[in-house]
Amino acid sequence: MKHPLTNNYRLLLSYVLFWGVISIINIVLQVFWYSVPLTYSLLDTFTNYVLYPLLGSSIWYSIRYNSLEEVTVGRLIMFHFIAASILCAIWVYISFAIYKPFIKEENSFLQNGLPSKIFAGYIMYAIYLIFFYAVNYYESLKEKIKKESEYKTLIREAELQALKSQINPHFLFNSLNSISSLTVSNPEKAQEMVINLSTFMRYSLTHGEKEMVTFERELENIKLYLGIEKVRFGKKLNAEFEIDAHCLEAEIPNMILQPLYENAIKYGVYETTDQVTIKTVCQCDGTILRITLVNDYDASTLKRKGEGIGLRNIRKRMQIIYNQPDLVKITDNKTSFEVQLIIPQKQPIS
Amino acid sequence: MSEKLQTLIIEDEELARNLLRSYLKDHPDIEIIGECENGFDGVKAINDKKPDLVFLDIQMPKITGFEMIELLDHKPQIIFTTAYDQYALKAFELNAVDYLLKPFSKERMQKAIEKVIHHIEHAETNIEKLEELSNFRPGESFIDRVVVKDRHKIHIITVDKIRYIESLDDYVMIYTQDGRHMKQKTMKYFETYLDPKNFIRIHRSFIVQVDNIAEIQQYEKESYVVILKDKDKTKLKVSKTGYKKIKEVLHF
Repeated sequence: MKHPLTNNYRLLLSYVLFWGVISIINIVLQVFWYSVPLTYSLLDTFTNYVLYPLLGSSIWYSIRYNSLEEVTVGRLIMFHFIAASILCAIWVYISFAIYKPFIKEENSFLQNGLPSKIFAGYIMYAIYLIFFYAVNYYESLKEKIKKESEYKTLIREAELQALKSQINPHFLFNSLNSISSLTVSNPEKAQEMVINLSTFMRYSLTHGEKEMVTFERELENIKLYLGIEKVRFGKKLNAEFEIDAHCLEAEIPNMILQPLYENAIKYGVYETTDQVTIKTVCQCDGTILRITLVNDYDASTLKRKGEGIGLRNIRKRMQIIYNQPDLVKITDNKTSFEVQLIIPQKQPIS
Repeated sequence: MSEKLQTLIIEDEELARNLLRSYLKDHPDIEIIGECENGFDGVKAINDKKPDLVFLDIQMPKITGFEMIELLDHKPQIIFTTAYDQYALKAFELNAVDYLLKPFSKERMQKAIEKVIHHIEHAETNIEKLEELSNFRPGESFIDRVVVKDRHKIHIITVDKIRYIESLDDYVMIYTQDGRHMKQKTMKYFETYLDPKNFIRIHRSFIVQVDNIAEIQQYEKESYVVILKDKDKTKLKVSKTGYKKIKEVLHF
């Protein structure tokens, strides 16, 4: 850390002003109340309130390298006593060097001040010590708070990054296998699927740049995703949508829906041999967008162990973005599984 | 080879089946004798048709490729196919069983078939390897279901339905609400793979589901029995270490 007086312009100004005011008061008091000759008063004031503050500013270095936490109390007292003595000696020596030409036999004002000057030197040292420790404490606290908030932002970003759905490798490789098969039997369809897969991948890879998207955009992506899965699962996968048209303008966090569909496919479609319907119902009401996803599942082959990692991530992400609990509601009816997302809107949906 | 390999394809996705079929169509050593869309049909087809070679997908509805192995009376040569499953890959590498990663090329598949032919010509079986694979569980997590076969029907028992398990020499008997099922697995296997928060090995011969315990009675000095929540009030012996474990789980 730099010296606070050279580093902080305002602090330096206050320091100069403070000692300036003290000097003026001292001169006025000495000259008008105690009838001290002006020359003497000026000399006294200069050594006490200009010279000492100049020398005293170096006390900063003595506290910088003697942190309260790292040094034992005994050593600390010892160190500061020696430092105070050295500073005091220098100060008194310079003061008297300045006084020398002015010292006269008939006025002992300057010489008489010697013992109290030495005493004052130690007291001032102690005051400076407290002052600099306080400044130091304040500065490091400020720095700590700043660093902490930086860390928090970093952690938040990292968390969000991690919570955002990653493309499931299982999905990717199975889709590529479907494409491989289609190149033999239906090249046109293979081409279409390559394009759809690319569009979907592009959306999910670039979504990091922009946090919020319109519901319409997210829905398009979901339909793309379901389209790709439909090539794999054929009749087994049936998707139904009931969307209020005016909800499409709503804003939602990107890629927040895809993991829900991925789950529905993993636990619904994948585990049965029958057709599974994934139904999406969406309503909006003032400043709330409500998205409900229902899928059937076969409870006889699968014991759902509460919340999987996908749902947990969504819950956490919603919590970070909206800072509100209970935005994800889960209902398990034993034959169907329902997830409801409540997405608060900044502006009411018209 | 004088005779063609009788080959079965077990794969839930139509496009994946199509691809395999088109790869195998003009292969001189292969004759496709059937295709199955799920593990249930797969087990039945393998036991009935006794193929020489099976292309087996791991991720399938109802039961997985690994679970299927436990239910086979006839153990053919198996080439596993999977898209992505880091745990499965580890298992394959440990057991040196051949597998194909989707999407795979025709050449890669041919190599796998050559390997199988080599095995058959040298009369090497991979039955032991298969046995070990069937003990394999995905990840470090506990199992959440058990597949069993009674005569010709396959049952999937989710672990919450298990009341208790009794050891019978090389077998175990699994008691559920609806009946009992025999399975060729060890007690050690169930002790390892059932969540110890829910299942306690109370005795050398018994593993009990915690929620199913009605009471614990002192039977003699220093010996106990648990009484289960059923109409017969089944009593099971508790060993000394078993009693300690019950105490730990139920906190008394």
